[in-house]
Amino acid sequence: MGAAIGSPPGLGEQILFWVLAGWVVGGALFTMTRRNPVTAVMSLVGTFFALAATYASLSAHFLAIIQILVYAGAIMVLFIFVVMILNREEITPVTPRGLILRVMGIGAGLYLTRVFVRVVATSPGADVPGKVSDTFGTVASIGDILFRDFLYPFEAVSLLLLVAIVGGVVISRSHQKEVAAEIAAERRKAIEEMAHAPYPAPEDASSSGGGGHH
Amino acid sequence: MAFNLRLIPLLPFIGAALLLLFGRRWKRETVVLVAAAAIAGACLVAFDAFFSKLPEAAEMGGLRDVVWTWFSAGDLKVDLAFRLDALSGLLCLIITFIGFLIHVYASGYMADEPDYARFFGYLNLFCGAMLVLVLGDSLPVMFVGWEGVGLCSYLLIGFWYTDNANADAGKKAFITNRIGDFGFLLGMFLLFQYTGTLNMSDASAGAVQGSALTQPLWGMTAAFWVCLFLFIGAVGKSAQIPLYVWLPDAMAGPTPVSALIHAATMVTAGVYMVARLHALFVLAPAALAIVAIVGALTALFAAIIGFAQNDFKKVLAYSTVSQLGFMFAGVGTGNFEAGVFHLYTHAFFKAGLFLCAGSVMHAMSGSGDITIMGGLRKKIPWTHGVFFVCWLAICGLPIFSGFFSKDAIIAGAFSTEIFGADLAWVGKLVGAMLMLAALGTAFYMSRLYFLVFSGKTTRASHDIQHHIHESPGVMVGPLVILAIGAGLGGLIGAPTGLFGHPEWNFLGHTLEPVLGAELDVPHTTEIIFMLASTVLAAVGIVLAYAFYGGGYRQPAIKFAQAFPGFVQLVRDKFRVDELYDFLFIRPIKRLSKALFFVVDRIIIDKILVEGLGAAVDLVGRLSRMFQTGDGQRYMAVFAIGVAVTVIFATRPTTPGELKVRVSGLSVDVDARRGGRPSARPLEYTFDFNGDGKTDTKGINPEGHFAYEKPGKYEIKVSVVDPRWGTESHLTRTVEVR
Amino acid sequence: MPTHYYLTLSFVLFLIGSSGVLLRRNAIIVLMGIELQLNAGNLALLAYSRALGDQKGHVFAFIIIALAAAEAAVGLAILVGLFRSRQTVNLDEASLMKR
Repeated sequence: MGAAIGSPPGLGEQILFWVLAGWVVGGALFTMTRRNPVTAVMSLVGTFFALAATYASLSAHFLAIIQILVYAGAIMVLFIFVVMILNREEITPVTPRGLILRVMGIGAGLYLTRVFVRVVATSPGADVPGKVSDTFGTVASIGDILFRDFLYPFEAVSLLLLVAIVGGVVISRSHQKEVAAEIAAERRKAIEEMAHAPYPAPEDASSSGGGGHH
Repeated sequence: MAFNLRLIPLLPFIGAALLLLFGRRWKRETVVLVAAAAIAGACLVAFDAFFSKLPEAAEMGGLRDVVWTWFSAGDLKVDLAFRLDALSGLLCLIITFIGFLIHVYASGYMADEPDYARFFGYLNLFCGAMLVLVLGDSLPVMFVGWEGVGLCSYLLIGFWYTDNANADAGKKAFITNRIGDFGFLLGMFLLFQYTGTLNMSDASAGAVQGSALTQPLWGMTAAFWVCLFLFIGAVGKSAQIPLYVWLPDAMAGPTPVSALIHAATMVTAGVYMVARLHALFVLAPAALAIVAIVGALTALFAAIIGFAQNDFKKVLAYSTVSQLGFMFAGVGTGNFEAGVFHLYTHAFFKAGLFLCAGSVMHAMSGSGDITIMGGLRKKIPWTHGVFFVCWLAICGLPIFSGFFSKDAIIAGAFSTEIFGADLAWVGKLVGAMLMLAALGTAFYMSRLYFLVFSGKTTRASHDIQHHIHESPGVMVGPLVILAIGAGLGGLIGAPTGLFGHPEWNFLGHTLEPVLGAELDVPHTTEIIFMLASTVLAAVGIVLAYAFYGGGYRQPAIKFAQAFPGFVQLVRDKFRVDELYDFLFIRPIKRLSKALFFVVDRIIIDKILVEGLGAAVDLVGRLSRMFQTGDGQRYMAVFAIGVAVTVIFATRPTTPGELKVRVSGLSVDVDARRGGRPSARPLEYTFDFNGDGKTDTKGINPEGHFAYEKPGKYEIKVSVVDPRWGTESHLTRTVEVR
Repeated sequence: MPTHYYLTLSFVLFLIGSSGVLLRRNAIIVLMGIELQLNAGNLALLAYSRALGDQKGHVFAFIIIALAAAEAAVGLAILVGLFRSRQTVNLDEASLMKR
């Protein structure tokens, strides 16, 4: 990979790229077309591994590691958990409602992709890989820039994560205990009222006794 | 000359305000005191103004009192100003004096009325409005009073509004008056358009004479139309054909109100207006002729209807209509002084007659049906005496007031020369009709008198007979004063033609500065018509005695049997109400119903209200289709929007922008957008002859081509942006010669 | 490899993710599509970063990963809440609007 810097791509590098690109695209397509969410999550994890490798091929070693740790590790585990809780096999994976509009939206996306790819391909200098130093993308240099120039955004991100954790807890929290407490309070109240209520009249007692024969 | 004329209408207004605001909690005595004091104060001021101040000011156009400038717009400046000259002064005296008597009378007549204060408040308001009408120095101010009496008549006729018939009568009076008021307004506008002034003193001082009013308009002179429209107003207010129908129904109000409307206020307004604006009317003899003919026709027509009415007040009502016809015939023949004279005498005897009617009905436990009356002469002697005097006055027997005024009108009609040669027949015709009407008047009034007072006993039920009694002093007192006026009041206008002493004709020379010299009636003519009208009156009375003396006699019964249809027709008042109902009211009702259904129900309710709602609903339904709540669809729309934006933004050029210049056989083409070079590198492909083959290609937006032979060619240019991969096509057809 | 290969790969990946987001009913799959879109963005950032020799792109990618983690946490929590109240994670059944 380091050899690719500033020179035309060698054959090995090309093969690696195409393999990774095929893996990424295939994995992504596979993910998006699965009915079973568990299968989708697993294929997504595979896709992320390929993406991590792609990052590495772009000299982004630190990000490649983070991709595997955070995405393939943490986030996907979270997905797996949720899928386990809510797992339901879909009968119709695509809703027929508004399908024309959605397909038109995808058509628009295709058009935009075509246009952007053309623009990118014809941009001056896009066909030449840039020259980078040896320390580019290492943990040391990323850490240096992260804690020197981007300290406040970094701290803001930590705050964001904290808020997300709290929000996740609040939203997904079960209300069953509170509901149970309310029901219990009502029941207590009813019992108290019954205790303080006057005794039923004798006629009522006799009529209820008479009804007992049935 | 300045004088506090504003006090005259102001006092009754103050009285009305006090009574209507606070009177409900006052005692009856207080109410009567306030009401009578207000009108008496006005009366005293009027007397003071008329007798002590006016003689000095008479030559200068009378007393004038400007309160403030009411409004001023462009050339139009209208002051809230009052003017008291001989004419308006006389009217003021009549209104306040007779109004005062009626107030006093009403305090006894309405003794059992729970809503005492409201009644007297309205009475005061009525008198105040009428005084504004009379004293107003410009037509707009007069119009305020004009509308004021219309309003008060509505309030008073419908005084007992809990009864539907009374409320309807009030509405009828009001609406009929509105028709006339519309004419008044039109006349006022037209007058202003042609003369630029609405000031009464300008109008009557001859400022309008010879002015623009004589120019032609719609086939007549402008003056004719002004007078005609104003006369329509007078017809409505003074109950002439064809708008008289409200007055007989106005009997629904309390009797003092009837007396006030018929004698002192309201109905005399029209006559007064014509006399007031006589300077205008003499400019239009044709309009005067219409006034005279309408007056004479009304006099005759109403008198005939009076023959067969069986309600005491109805007879008197038609008698008023008839007498108003006399007045209009008087002013219409240019005999303004006689018209006003008759207005004055009529005020006394008609007020007397109406108050007698009230007294009789009081005695008869509220019934006004003359077929069950009779022999009341002995039972209520005071009332009988007053009625007797007034009866002779209205019949026109010598010495009594009606005699002089009626005779002045008839004699004037025959000897007038105001119509000119073309319309000379009008005077004679009117005079003849008036003589017949006078005969009729004597007949129906005598019929009334004989049926009510002569004979032995009433034909009423025992209960009613038992209760017959003379009215209390507060009612009889005013009656006696009115009887004196009715009996001797005519002497102030003793005709010069008869006695040869102009100075004896107090009324004549008082009114002279305002109305001009009185009509010159030759001595012999005067004598002839006096004799003739006396004879006519006597004939009428004798005939009536033959028919009705002491009750229904054989001739009356036989006549009714001989002409049952005619009698019934007259009794039904010639079914004019029914005619109007058929001609106007029902079509209007039908039209209203149609409008209600078409405009209200369909256009407004269905189309505007519900249709608007439905439109909003539809828009809502349609726009709801976009609001699916489906984020995925929103995203799809977003993607489509981005794509469309990119497509538009990346077009190399907009279609149709191809500039072509032809010179000889060659063309120069410029494909740049807006003629400016593009910031993006574009490729242009030119096909000049439309054969599908590329002629020129490159980054140059301008192309040049020389054709081999003349003809029509299609130039096609395709512009490609290689970077964005977009393409535009431009086409244009050129002809090369 | 030239940069535009990576960028093209990024666009294709984004398109695949978008298609999943637009078409699928299951909210979990839709969330996965969003993860794919975010990764496509990361890929483009890293490619440009490499082309320009500027490591700031890495920092942005790092932040985006953190953001993706937060998004996944909250999004999945919402899904759990949604499932609890409506017994479904199908997006077309989650709308409260009348159709």
